[in-house]
Parts: sequence; C-alpha cells; structure tokens
Amino acid sequence: MMQWLYDVLIGPLAPVSHQKALIGGCLIAVVCGVIGCFIILRRMAFLTDALSHSMLAGVTAGYLILKLTFRSDNLDGPALLLGALAAGIVTVALVAFVSRVSRVKEDAAIGMMYTGIFALGAVLASIYRDVIHIDLYHFVTGQTLGVTDNDLWVMGVITAFVLSMVVLFFRQLQIVSFDPIMAAAIGVPVLAVEYLLTTCTSFVVIGAVNMVGVIQVVGLMVTPAATAYILCDRLSRMMVLASGFGVSSVVGGIYLMSWTGNFPPGASIVLVSTLQFLVVLLVAPRYGMIADWLRRIRLVPEQVVEDVVGCIRRAKGKAVTLEAINKFVDAPPTQVQRAVNALERREWIEIDDARISLTADGRREARRLLRAHRLWEAYLDHVGVAGQAVHAQAHALEHVHDEETIDYIDDKLGHPLTDPHGAEIPEDFVHLVPGNEVKAALLREGHRAIVTDVQPPVTATGLTPGAAITAGPRRDEGETWTLITDDGEEVRLDHNAADAVTVRLISDGFTDSSGEAPIE
Amino acid sequence: MNSEVSNNPPAIEVENLTVSYGPTPALLDISFEVPAGKLVGVIGPNGSGKSTLIKSILGFLNPDFGEVRLFGQPADDAVGRVAYVPQRGSVDWDFPITVKDVVLMGRYGHVPWWKSFSKDDHQIVTESLEMVRMADYQGRQIGQLSGGQQQRVFMARAMAQGADVLLLDEPFAGVDAATERAILDVLERTRAAGKTLMVVHHDLATAAEYFDLLILLKQRMYAFGPPSAVLHAELLSEVYEGKVRAFADLVTTGPTNNGGAR
Repeated sequence: MMQWLYDVLIGPLAPVSHQKALIGGCLIAVVCGVIGCFIILRRMAFLTDALSHSMLAGVTAGYLILKLTFRSDNLDGPALLLGALAAGIVTVALVAFVSRVSRVKEDAAIGMMYTGIFALGAVLASIYRDVIHIDLYHFVTGQTLGVTDNDLWVMGVITAFVLSMVVLFFRQLQIVSFDPIMAAAIGVPVLAVEYLLTTCTSFVVIGAVNMVGVIQVVGLMVTPAATAYILCDRLSRMMVLASGFGVSSVVGGIYLMSWTGNFPPGASIVLVSTLQFLVVLLVAPRYGMIADWLRRIRLVPEQVVEDVVGCIRRAKGKAVTLEAINKFVDAPPTQVQRAVNALERREWIEIDDARISLTADGRREARRLLRAHRLWEAYLDHVGVAGQAVHAQAHALEHVHDEETIDYIDDKLGHPLTDPHGAEIPEDFVHLVPGNEVKAALLREGHRAIVTDVQPPVTATGLTPGAAITAGPRRDEGETWTLITDDGEEVRLDHNAADAVTVRLISDGFTDSSGEAPIE
Repeated sequence: MNSEVSNNPPAIEVENLTVSYGPTPALLDISFEVPAGKLVGVIGPNGSGKSTLIKSILGFLNPDFGEVRLFGQPADDAVGRVAYVPQRGSVDWDFPITVKDVVLMGRYGHVPWWKSFSKDDHQIVTESLEMVRMADYQGRQIGQLSGGQQQRVFMARAMAQGADVLLLDEPFAGVDAATERAILDVLERTRAAGKTLMVVHHDLATAAEYFDLLILLKQRMYAFGPPSAVLHAELLSEVYEGKVRAFADLVTTGPTNNGGAR
C-alpha cells in the first residue's frame, strides 16, 4: 500500500527533469494566471497567440545578432529574452499601426502581422540552422522536460518582474482596462500602461512557450483565468484563483504525463487545465451550468402561484388538498408543488396534515387578485368583449395587477360595485384603511368618515371639513354616490363630484381590524 | 383635408392596447387614431413605453389585450405598409456599401431573390433619395456622411420600402441645430407626400413646433391631440413627476380645450 502511494504520488517527481519542470511550470503558471486575467477581460486572447508566434522571429534574430557580435555559444537566456521582447513590441506596434492607418479592423491586423512575422522567423531559423540551435518542433510543442537550470533562472526573473509590476501598478492596470478614457482624464499614462502590459505579456509568453510550446501558450494563459472568471466577481480574487488554477494545471499535467507514461508533457498540462475549466463551468455556484439549470427549474411562474391562491380562495375558507389544486390549476404537478412551497415560504398558506388553507396574508392577497380579476372583467365588458371571452381574457389579464393599474381601471370604470356577472368587486383595501384620507368616490355603503376637504364643483351645505358622514347606497346603476350627514341629510354626488370630496375613513362598516373581509 | 380622405380608415389605429412583461404593464389601455398624412410625436419620460408602442405598431409584440390596425388592417397583415428607421448606433459605418445600395435594400422585400432589380426599383430609389435631398451623394460610402445625412439615407430606405407609415426612433438624438432643421425638413416633405410619420421625441421644448399631434405616454396615455391640448403644465408635471422645471415656458398659450383623453 505504501509502495503504491509512493509510486503514485512521489514517484513521478523522482526524475530531476520532472522536478525542474514542476518548479519552472509553477513559476510561470502563477504569472500566466495573473496576466491572463487582463488578457481575457480586455479580449486580447488572439494577441497572446500572435505574441507567441512572433517570438520565433525575435528569438532567431536575437540569437543571430548576439552570436555574430559576441561569438559565444552560451547565450540562450539573453537571446530569448531580448529577442522575444523586441518581437512582441514590434508586433503590437505594427498591429496598432495597420489598424490606425487603414480601415482594417484590429483582429484582421493581428492575423496578418503575426503570421507574417512568424513566417519571417521560420525562414530565418531554416537558413541559419547551422548557426543557431532552435528546434522548430520543440518550439511549437514545448520542451517541458528539457528545462535547464538556465531556463529556471530566466523563469524566476520573469515571474519576479511581472509579479512586482502587477503589484506596484495594479490600480493603473485595472483602470486602463476598465475605463481608458477616464484613466487618461485623471492623468494615468494610458499608452505607457498598455506597453507595460504588453511587455509583461511578452515575458510571460516567453516562459510559457518553453513549457508548453507556441500553440498551447494561449491555453496556459487564458484557460486558468477564464476558470477563475466564472467563480468570482472581483479582479484581485480572480487573479489569485487564476494563479491557483495555473499551478494545479501544471502539477496535474506532470502527474498525468508520468502516470500514463507516453502523454506529451505540454499537451498534458493544457489538457488538465481544459478539463478543470469544464468541471468548474459545470459546478460553479453562481455562473455554473448546474446552478443555472437549478435556478431555472426552481423558478415558479408567478401566474401559477396566483392561480393556486385563487383555487384555494374558491374553497371559501375550507382547507383543500394538493390533489384538488392540481385538478383546477392548469400547470404540471411539479410546478404546482413548487408554487405551494413558495406560498408556504411567503406565509400565505398553512398546511395542516395535507390540508391547505390561506393565512390572513394569503386571504388579503387572494382578495387583491379577486379584485384585479373582477375589475378586468368589468373593463373587458366595458370595451365590448362578448360574454364567453370575458372570463378567459380576464384570467390572463388579472396577472397584470400592480396597484396603479388597478386604481386606473377602477377610476376609469367609475368604481364599479359588481362585475358583469353580478358578483361583487372587493373594495379598494390598499387606500381604504381606517385613518387614511381617500376620495369619497372610493367609499362603499356603510363606511363612516370625516370630511377633510371639499373642492368645486361640490357646494352641498352638509359637506364641510370636519363633518361626519356615512356612505349610503350607490344609486342610478352605481353612477350616483350618496353621503348621509349626521343630520340625516342625503347628499347626491356624481363621479366627478365624489372625486372632489376628500374624507378620512373612521371605520369600514363590516371588516374587522385585521382586514379579513368575508370572501365569497 | 377633403371629405373623401377623412372617410378612409385612419393610418394608425390603436385600441385598448395593453402590453405587460409581468405584473406591471408596459402599456395600459392605450387608444388613439392617427389620420393619414400627420406628423406625430411620441413624448414621455424614460421607460414610459415609447419603444414598446413602436414595436407594437410594427407587429413585433403579442399584446395582452387590444388591437393595432394600419389603414383598417390588423398590424400583422400590414407588413410592408410600415417601415422603421432605427437609431444610428446599430450600424457598422465602415461597411463597404454606398448610399444607393443602402436605399436599394429597401426594395429587397419586393424583388424575388432570383430576379435582378427592375428599372422601377431604381426609379423608386432615385425618387426616395431626391425626397431626402441626398441624390447627389448616392455614390458615397455611408461612413463619409455626416450624422444628419446618414439619418436621411435611412429615411430614404424606409420610403423605398413603399411604406405609408414611417416609425422613427429619436431621429434628432445627438445632432446639431442645423442638422435637426434638415431632418425636420425631410420629415415635412415626407408628410407632404402623404406619408404618416410617428416619431419618438425627447425634447419637450421643440415638440409643439415640430408635430401636428402629440402622444404623452407613461404606461397609460395621459394625453393625445394637438400640442396645445397636450402640453399643459399640470399634465407634464404629473407625467414627469415635477422633474422638468420650465414647464411654464413650454406650455403654449393656445385654447385650453380638453382635447386630451385621460
């Protein structure tokens, strides 16, 4: 058992080449994650690809120049660094130039420039293959296991440089990426910051090409950052996570390579990082696919919730069972079940031994919906919809029931008392609460109120501020309001006049204080 | 207008239109009729349902209730009688296309894909360009025009579609005073040619001057009628919730007849 554990966990790290690959890879993965965050937020993934390819020309040229000037053989490090950096800056400058002087958009400019420079590099590397030792195959696929001490030093320097730049200039990098115009306005040297980012990106690409090769550099730069992106909403945390995912890709990749024995190392690393992304995409708590799917199936349409309330209301105070609700509500049973759960969370219903009944809040809501439904019915009748269609149309329209809408319809129709089928429309119980000031037009028979304000055209003597009145029955098919003063005088008002009288409600005739009017 | 024209069905007829996206309606119980040959402004605060109204007239939306008719036909059947002039933002101005080709796009709906354009099509394109006074620019690439000229090209395209009703989404947004004049001039010429135009507009100060009829909208229709009937300080402060200070200056001193439907 111990032997097996050793083979699986420690064994892969026994060869020195593996150890060097691990150290180098982790160093580079950290900065890949950090810079990768800026890359994906600025949509520069394609530029990374371009930088890695143009490196070939840079490295070749740098190698040639140093070789010819110093005639030394041990120039890998400086040649790599300087040449690649120069190539990176030339590429970026050319892309900027082409997209500025021509109408060609930036992505096309990148595509042209980097393939051109890469081709130049390939030609140079072939012509001078006797002088310089650039192995095109390894350049393209990476030489994870060929990492030398020299390479390790280069990677260490790159990592130290890039990390300190990002730590020192984090704020500048952030603002230039988020809002460059505002950055320029407050005096941030935008161009300099962009070149700093390009320089850092070039350095990181140099290190990453060594590990995974030109083609897979984008994978090591972009994938860990994108993985972090679907997990968090803050740039600083995203960078830390991206570094972590980069390191885990390298470690996972080297183990994968050792266990299988014949996977190419660079490919293993990028494969692990891609799988890691897919797993996170699936299970991420907020932006993940499973979370999204769960959210969507948990979402209960408000219409179903309202229909369930309506269904329980029609039982007239008696408790109903879930089966009964399922029979009357036109929705799949799972949705009905979820609607019932939602109602229980809102404390609109009580469930006692599978018997469902409305709470005080639920009854209030039910009455609100009933009022909306009957007012919409009255409205449909008013605009000329014929008998049968009224109920179905109103059933759809009752879900449009915000207070303003209902008040508007109520007022437009002259505060009707009954719907077209003769059923009573529940009174306005949002405004019509004892102690509230309302227009007299809202009063129903039996309400006691004190007059607080009278505007023209009302001149009736009995109605002066301070007078107590009782609302009498509506006359003339609901078009005339009657208010009875304490002297027994009956004042008749039309809709306009009733709107001109403001009263403070004392009591509302029949409801008790909890607002639980009898619901038919 | 003679009696023969007024007997025709109205160009745009909206009846009891209610559109909602949830418990709050985007449009509630909107009813109005626009006779043919009018220039109508739609005003109202942000989020008041102006674009929902335009989309409903284009037949893009399923209303909860109510109807939209164009010349007496339901909006769904009147495809081709109504054209939409978008805001300028949505177009790639570097696209390699000339002014004439843009206007010719207006004919695409009339010509089967296997046929080439007829002389009539080209004639219509030329007339449309003349109507907006852009005939001299037909060989230009569209990015080389000024903002107002671009707006006029898209109006010409709408006219080349053969539509009788044109819906414009804020044609005056972000243009200078001279350009605004030029666009208004085109709107008036279009109206003179018998088209009906409905324009989403933001500037209350110019609304009275530019339009024959105004619709004041905020979910419900607060007023509809000639500017003198719509631009009342009371109404405006109710709709804009007192946010516009200079209501008093805007209000025309015309008769205070209650042409507004409430």
